[in-house]
Amino acid sequence: MGLPARPGGPGADGITATAVSRSFGQVHAVEHMDFRAPAGKVTALIGPNGAGKTTLLLMLASLLAPDSGTITVEGLDPRRHRAEVRRRIGWMPDTLGVWESLTAREILTQIARFYQLPKAGMAQRVAEMLDRVRLSDLADQPARVLSRGQQQRLSLARALIHDPSVLLLDEPASGLDPGSRVELRVMLRQLAAEGKAIVVSSHVLSELDEIADAAVFVNRGRTIRHQTTDEAAAAGRRYAISATDGAALAAKLTELGLTFRVEDGRRAAVSLMLMNDDDAARLLRDLVLAGVPVRSFAPASGALEETYMNLEGERR
Amino acid sequence: MSQRTEATQRPPARGRGAGYLGGIWDVVVLELKQRLRSRGWYIMLGIWFILTGLVTWLTWAAWNAQREAQRSYSTFTAPETGPGSMIFEVVLAFVLLFALLVAPALSANAVNGDRAGGTLAILQVTLLRPGQILWGKFFAAWAAALAFLVASTPFLIIGVALGGMTPGHVVVALLMLAVEVGVVSAIGVGISALAGRPLFSIVVTYLAVAGLVFGSLIAFGLGTGLSQRTIMANQAQYRSYSPYEPLEEQPAPMEPEYTCSGPLREQPAVHTDRVAWMLAMNPYVVVADAIPYPVRTSNAFGMSSPVGAIESISQGARYAMAGPDGTYPCANGEAKPRYLAQSTPLWPLGLGLQLLLAGLLMWLGWRSLRTPARRLARGTRIA
Repeated sequence: MGLPARPGGPGADGITATAVSRSFGQVHAVEHMDFRAPAGKVTALIGPNGAGKTTLLLMLASLLAPDSGTITVEGLDPRRHRAEVRRRIGWMPDTLGVWESLTAREILTQIARFYQLPKAGMAQRVAEMLDRVRLSDLADQPARVLSRGQQQRLSLARALIHDPSVLLLDEPASGLDPGSRVELRVMLRQLAAEGKAIVVSSHVLSELDEIADAAVFVNRGRTIRHQTTDEAAAAGRRYAISATDGAALAAKLTELGLTFRVEDGRRAAVSLMLMNDDDAARLLRDLVLAGVPVRSFAPASGALEETYMNLEGERR
Repeated sequence: MSQRTEATQRPPARGRGAGYLGGIWDVVVLELKQRLRSRGWYIMLGIWFILTGLVTWLTWAAWNAQREAQRSYSTFTAPETGPGSMIFEVVLAFVLLFALLVAPALSANAVNGDRAGGTLAILQVTLLRPGQILWGKFFAAWAAALAFLVASTPFLIIGVALGGMTPGHVVVALLMLAVEVGVVSAIGVGISALAGRPLFSIVVTYLAVAGLVFGSLIAFGLGTGLSQRTIMANQAQYRSYSPYEPLEEQPAPMEPEYTCSGPLREQPAVHTDRVAWMLAMNPYVVVADAIPYPVRTSNAFGMSSPVGAIESISQGARYAMAGPDGTYPCANGEAKPRYLAQSTPLWPLGLGLQLLLAGLLMWLGWRSLRTPARRLARGTRIA
């Protein structure tokens, strides 16, 4: 990437947290958490509310100091190389935080100044970013007239204005309409392809299947599992099946010796774990051949969601 | 990618100091842009202008009415001094009062208001240093409060134009008002960085201002009660003068009007000089004491009391500061200069203490803005 010799040697790309802990008074928000987001990949940070995701992101963004443990950004220590680390990090908080009376263009220009970008190309850079998040038409409107989703996109542009190599996004998809979500997905894949390390914390797990290369599951301030999306898919997936004749479906599944769960959704359905797509295809064929009137047959959840739900189950 | 490498490899175009100031300026611009676009600020400014004008006019009308009344009830005509001094003093006192009331409102939510709105962390995550954010917020709040002083300048000038005062008075008064507003703004910004909620910090800042204005008086009053000591002094022998002498021929008050004789004895005295520093912190005392006035010893009418409120406050405070050693008749066997000759100013002490307080709060505020943050105020989220 044309950078001068990077300190820290090999494996020093992206952002790494090693055994970080942080407590607020009696509350241990993060305990010995390990986290690694390599360059060129999208890493999802998944966990229930209060799991310590935002606290971890604040520490990664060098806003919050860990009580113990170390954080390195491209091999640099935020405590010692403050400015260098800040130049490399783009952070999009979960709160929107816009200066309401300023226009989108003014906000981005101010932020560019705060990052000490060269004045010569600043206006062009701002226009470029506005275009990238499709806010060019609204560039000169005060930020207060922007909708939540538009403010969210402005927030993303703000995180990207100084072209950071590590991008930390806290719930970037919340408040976005489906079209914008797809765009965000495409944009994040592009940014990863440019070699940036991207960290996304999100609850919308089905989306993450499409974006994330790997996921770090956290709960109660600890890292529970580190898993790539492929691994997650390989671990099996839950399928939901419904039939106009529920009894026949249940009978056939019992006959095949499969354990299943009756779901209490709006339509009567059952769900069961299948290891892979071949298993699914075989089961569907068997059911149809057996004359079970199958109405729907589809994955009940995303691969990452499956892991997440299993972890939730373990917790109880 | 080119952008980032450009940014990292770019040699610091400006010097370190200039870069620091540049960051402060950027924050000031950001803050002032927001203020200039809020309608409330203009409305407040308009109300301020009208109120100050009203007070000026009322003072002038009251002075006129008083003079009319004097003319119709007695043949005695008071010396024509013009309303200048009085208008100037009333307007000055009023402007200072309202400046002290407005400045906390403009400054005390500067930092935690942003924290609540989620925009503080956005600044903190950039290359801005905590000092730049804090100084930027302070200068912006100060500038916003100074606009109110600018709006009241015409009336201070009217006070001068109506006679009795020099332009120097206006300049010094405005300068001191500006400094006082700056002190309050710094206190407000410092507290806003320390306190979690804007409402709380605004209230605390108002209390701090009340502490300076009223608390200093109360503390001084209580403090004098606790500083009863004795002083060595002998007897004062007052010169007798004839009550039938015409007013103009009374002895000029330049010399002490008594002589000291006899053995030194312990006499009870209040050591006001030990608690005068509390009085000195009062913004009114600082402003009044800094405004120059002529030494009255050569007053043609032999008036032994100061002219106007400003001088009274200043002389009273200086009297307290001089303490019994400087003011008690025949302390240590020496005749003391008269009341009006107290010429050691105490506004530098008062202003110094105020700046110390403001500086301490700003420093504590700066500590709370440092990142990566180690300690957070209870109940605050950094984002």
